[in-house]
Amino acid sequence: MPFNALPVKDFLNREYELDYLKGLSALKENALGGDVLLEGARGIGKTELLEQLYRSLFWEDQVTPFYYTFKTANLKAIYFAKDYFTGFVRQYISCAKKDPSLANNAAEPLQRLIPAIASLGLYWLIDCIEDFQQHVNKNDLYWQMVAAISAPVVAAQKSGKPVVVMLDDFDAAAQLYETSLGDAHGLLSLFGESMRNNRCPHVITGSVNALETIFTDHSLLGKTEQMRLGPLPEGQAMQLFRSHLANLKITCPPGVPLKFLDILQGNPLYIRNLAKAAWKMRKLELNEKDLIECYSFEVSAGETAFYWSSVFSRCVQNGAKRRAMLKLLMHSVDNGGIADGDRLAMISGLNETETGELITAMEAAGIIHNQDRVLQDFSRCLYLREIEGREADYAKGKIESRYLPEQEEACFELVIPMSANAELVVAKAVEQIGININLDSEFLNYLQLALIEVCINAIEHSGSYEKKVFLKFITSPNKLEIIIENSGKPFSLDTLKEVPVAEKLRMGMKRGWGFKLVYSIMDSVKVERVNDRTRVILTKEITDKEVLK
Amino acid sequence: MKSDQFSVVSRLDGDAAIIYPKGYLNNLSGESLVIECGIYIGKGITKIVVNFGETNLINSIGISLLLQIIEDLRNIKGTICCTNMSKFLKDTFEMLGLMQHMLVFPLESDALKYLQSGEV
Repeated sequence: MPFNALPVKDFLNREYELDYLKGLSALKENALGGDVLLEGARGIGKTELLEQLYRSLFWEDQVTPFYYTFKTANLKAIYFAKDYFTGFVRQYISCAKKDPSLANNAAEPLQRLIPAIASLGLYWLIDCIEDFQQHVNKNDLYWQMVAAISAPVVAAQKSGKPVVVMLDDFDAAAQLYETSLGDAHGLLSLFGESMRNNRCPHVITGSVNALETIFTDHSLLGKTEQMRLGPLPEGQAMQLFRSHLANLKITCPPGVPLKFLDILQGNPLYIRNLAKAAWKMRKLELNEKDLIECYSFEVSAGETAFYWSSVFSRCVQNGAKRRAMLKLLMHSVDNGGIADGDRLAMISGLNETETGELITAMEAAGIIHNQDRVLQDFSRCLYLREIEGREADYAKGKIESRYLPEQEEACFELVIPMSANAELVVAKAVEQIGININLDSEFLNYLQLALIEVCINAIEHSGSYEKKVFLKFITSPNKLEIIIENSGKPFSLDTLKEVPVAEKLRMGMKRGWGFKLVYSIMDSVKVERVNDRTRVILTKEITDKEVLK
Repeated sequence: MKSDQFSVVSRLDGDAAIIYPKGYLNNLSGESLVIECGIYIGKGITKIVVNFGETNLINSIGISLLLQIIEDLRNIKGTICCTNMSKFLKDTFEMLGLMQHMLVFPLESDALKYLQSGEV
């Protein structure tokens, strides 16, 4: 793993941080520096910086690097201790022999490495392995943990050569457990001894909010400095993107301004993923519009979507809570934050305690109060798919339409009161929208009728406390989509029953024509329940005969 | 769509009443139409012509009230003729299967000629 770093030419704008971290062991030995908590948005390049540091220290040979990333599968303390200890031994020998393959070969038992260790004269390391094995044989978890965590310190002391310990996703260490989740909160503090050693500087990454909680632990408090990794400046973001494209054999003429890259906010992970999306979509030459298409793919079904989906899964495992999380996230995205305390439980569908716990977990994972537009677009896609039951292509199209130039798609919104003849205002609005896009007046009459029917259905039957109907008209050259929403009683198309006119006359039942008309006029009619609202989505494909010549 | 206020006027031509609904035919205006027809039915008129020449928009409640008039006339073995309908209105009635329950003529004069011919 530590050898997966980017080529040096593509590792931009982090020279200062890399140099500082390389000098950390000297600072710590002279009591001028401590451990470093590496902060920054997800994808900003914390892991990449660790990998670059690892590679650099590995070949420079002044100190020994040790890199460890916390994995969900190894949070049971007994597994963690073994994984951490064996990982350290392998990386130590790998560095001593300058053979990267030894560090990566996780499957090889330690016993088989003993001849290599002996040939290097590292007899103290053989003692460490034997001691660790004895703790395992005695089933002594505490001493297995101590032996594992202190292995870098022992190595630094025995060899006289500092060991730089890099702990990636360290916030996960707070979840280390003995037999079941949450049964051993104190295990994390075992790192305190190792972190205090002046020959073992630690560089730590993880979610800022979670790490703040961890660093209130008395044994770790006050020993760590923070280093914040910011986004790449605009010029370097573009340079990095163009470099990735060149590596993938995709051309992008110098005249293409790549303005859309701004949305990635200088995040190296997003920049790399977008370039890869272009490659996956078999783009040979990239223009601004392609960029939007690739981005829409990326946040709906690409690596960025997969990345955030994994973060979400790590934050909540339960299906109902995941749905609640998505509802809260969309509420946060739509309202620029999440402050409306009383209504949050109504939005999430959970009770107030569960909602409070969920928001705390989301805050710890850094996925709420986050102004990351990529995360917001991913959340939109996931909401469309998991809450509204849409296909990935639909979600992709929705994101694409947000960024396509306005002449290709226009959106109008209208709110009407639930009062007499308010539906005529809607009819007038759709008439003008139709005129704007050159629709035939007779065709417009049908659209007006369909809309009037949906509005009067909402006005008559919803019992909405808001007494408002919200409408959105989205026009594109080939399609008109109208979304009508109102709060109040749920409405389902399943309750509608078609009764022939003669039967209606016989039974004295004259109402119930509305949705029959809507169905006859529109190409698609969909009714959904979204939170406390009923949403009707009408779509009509626009063919040549409906457009004025 | 013209935003004319709904109104309904009528006249008698021989033994037939001719009704002129104007504007948007919805619940309120549909009620006035039913009342207007009801007045003639109450006077023993069994032939009614509804001239839709100035009806520019309709909704399903308006349609249901029209069905009420059809039913009232059917009860007295009367006849309803609809005339001067736009293509939109005709298509709408067609969609709902209403056309077979009324007589449709292009012009008011065609309907009157038919009613006076004694074929009814």
